[in-house]
Amino acid sequence: MRNISLKRIFRIGFLAVALVVVAAAAPGAQQSKKSGQPAAKPATTKSVHAEAKPDTVPVTTSSKEARHEYELGMLHREDLLFDEEGLNDFRRAVKADPNFALGHATIAFFSDDPREEKREILLAKQTLAHAVPDEKLLIRFMIGTRDGDLIPAISAMNDLRASYPKDSRLGNMYAEWLLAVQLNYDRAEEVLQSVLKADPNYYPSLNNLAYCYSLSGDYSKTASLMQQYVSQLPGQPNPQDSYGELLRMAGDFKDSIEHYRQALFIAPSFTTSQLGIASNYAFMGDQERARVEYLQAISMTKERTTKLQYRMLWAMTYFRAGQQEQARKAYGDLALLAHKEDLAVDEAECYRTMALFNPSPEGALKDLDKAQGVLSQKHELPRADRESELAIILQTRAFIGARAGMSDVADKALALLAPMAAKSRSNVIQAAYHSTNGAVLLVQGKYAEAVPEFQENPRDPLSLQLLADAQSKVGLTTDSAKTLATLAAINDERVETAAVAQPVRDALKRNNPASTQANTPE
Amino acid sequence: MVLLAALAAAATAVYATDFAVIVHNTNPTKAMPLAELGKIFRGKTSAWPNGRGITLIVRDPNSPAMKFIIEKVLGGSVDEGKAALNDPGRVKSGASVSFVSSDQDVVKGVESTPGAIGIVDVYNITSGVKVIKIDDKQPFDPGYVLKGRLQ
Repeated sequence: MRNISLKRIFRIGFLAVALVVVAAAAPGAQQSKKSGQPAAKPATTKSVHAEAKPDTVPVTTSSKEARHEYELGMLHREDLLFDEEGLNDFRRAVKADPNFALGHATIAFFSDDPREEKREILLAKQTLAHAVPDEKLLIRFMIGTRDGDLIPAISAMNDLRASYPKDSRLGNMYAEWLLAVQLNYDRAEEVLQSVLKADPNYYPSLNNLAYCYSLSGDYSKTASLMQQYVSQLPGQPNPQDSYGELLRMAGDFKDSIEHYRQALFIAPSFTTSQLGIASNYAFMGDQERARVEYLQAISMTKERTTKLQYRMLWAMTYFRAGQQEQARKAYGDLALLAHKEDLAVDEAECYRTMALFNPSPEGALKDLDKAQGVLSQKHELPRADRESELAIILQTRAFIGARAGMSDVADKALALLAPMAAKSRSNVIQAAYHSTNGAVLLVQGKYAEAVPEFQENPRDPLSLQLLADAQSKVGLTTDSAKTLATLAAINDERVETAAVAQPVRDALKRNNPASTQANTPE
Repeated sequence: MVLLAALAAAATAVYATDFAVIVHNTNPTKAMPLAELGKIFRGKTSAWPNGRGITLIVRDPNSPAMKFIIEKVLGGSVDEGKAALNDPGRVKSGASVSFVSSDQDVVKGVESTPGAIGIVDVYNITSGVKVIKIDDKQPFDPGYVLKGRLQ
């Protein structure tokens, strides 16, 4: 997985934006890898040659320039993790060849901009006839995973993998989807191991495998993989960036910062490393420093959606510091900005964040009313994104209701969510449904029945918090303690983590300082 | 990394997946009740409606996935399931069972055997086989019955 994947994972996890990575042939990328001297900065168009390789999925375009830009994009985005550069390469590719179906699909799946994503999916479908059969399989995988039509998508991917066993990028892409979207760590590990067996130095898979282990909670294997990854790409920022993120996940904030700094030393424009430094300071409790670092990250990104998300993290520092008034003002301003930009999910997220940090349950429910109100307005927004966000808002409503003992609130949330869940294959909606149902059962005193419902959503801080409550009530004190430890060990940038995990971490630290994470300042 | 991460690992080591029931691509069957699948597992149903004999292709009954499947499909204990699958009487009735070592082998077996039916982790399906619905639902559908959480 890429350094940004976790940031995307959690956005994906809550906004149902599938992280789908395109892995068609990119000979340029492989040449770069084999040379052992990849560029420290984004490669220029002169540095990568477009040569088709028979052992990788074909890329069909009538334009040399489009092919070149596409392959450059794959190098930047997939191999070296220069996200914005990669996306811009893909945009140039479809500009050079508007009938480049795979190019359109690639943009759609990489873009965080709902408007762009919707448009490019449509264009990919409209231009599908220009693609060759195997390329169509790849597009089917990408579109199927986005539309929730997973059976043909998986079939297509497995067919492709059988046809192109030497296409390491293809296997890596499948593994990344399994890991980031399906949260199927075992299967992802299996696929990554098969890629690395055939190509032991395929560095994107080394990176992903390290994330795979870390997300499974097995940090013991992470360091050696990261060291291997760093040694493969000594002049590139992403290995250091990934190392930083994995250390942060493990709670080693100070060492994490050091690796992020090394990434920025190699490539000063590597925005995710700047963001990582900011978040580490936020996790360590130095909110003033975090704000300074976040502002730097904001100034480094050009993508409007990314910029807004970084601003939301900046604003969260006020909540983290307990400065309610400033935080609510900052989020209110960002909600207005998101409204102006027609970024409805982000606008709704601003209000949902305000709800999660609102000390008054009644006030929080009013915040959530605003969040739901945003989604009821007309927006250019994929239906899946709208429904996923609504599901998360309803889950949040049930969470707040359950914690406040307001059974009617949880009941109403479930009544709205249940029909959605009955029709949807979205794992986000399903997870939200189970958590909401658990909240209803919890507030009804049906603790034993609530436990398995919360366990359906095992990396969600809200579910883990209520799971610990339910386990405690039913007498499973050891399990409850383990659940709280799991919750406290989550170190990511989600609002749920900031709202729920941090207080648990603080409480555990107060009760047993020796058992908490290393390097966390008092 | 210290204690908290270790505990986190212990608490989250669960593998969840949906299991797909697959048949040969030429098989006209599109759906089947779970109870009917149970009959095939028990050897009580040995032929498709068109008269073609059914070959059940599954993995080793001792694998975690098969234990889950046996419990779900047969509704009994794993030992009872194993006994049913290994019953010598099945041969007489024509309800054959073939045990293979991997999901990939299940897929290959079903792909090459017109009367075959198998069960695999949905992430192992290919276009060489057809996924059928069980109780009117397919993998990833809400409420799909063959959704497993394996330790």
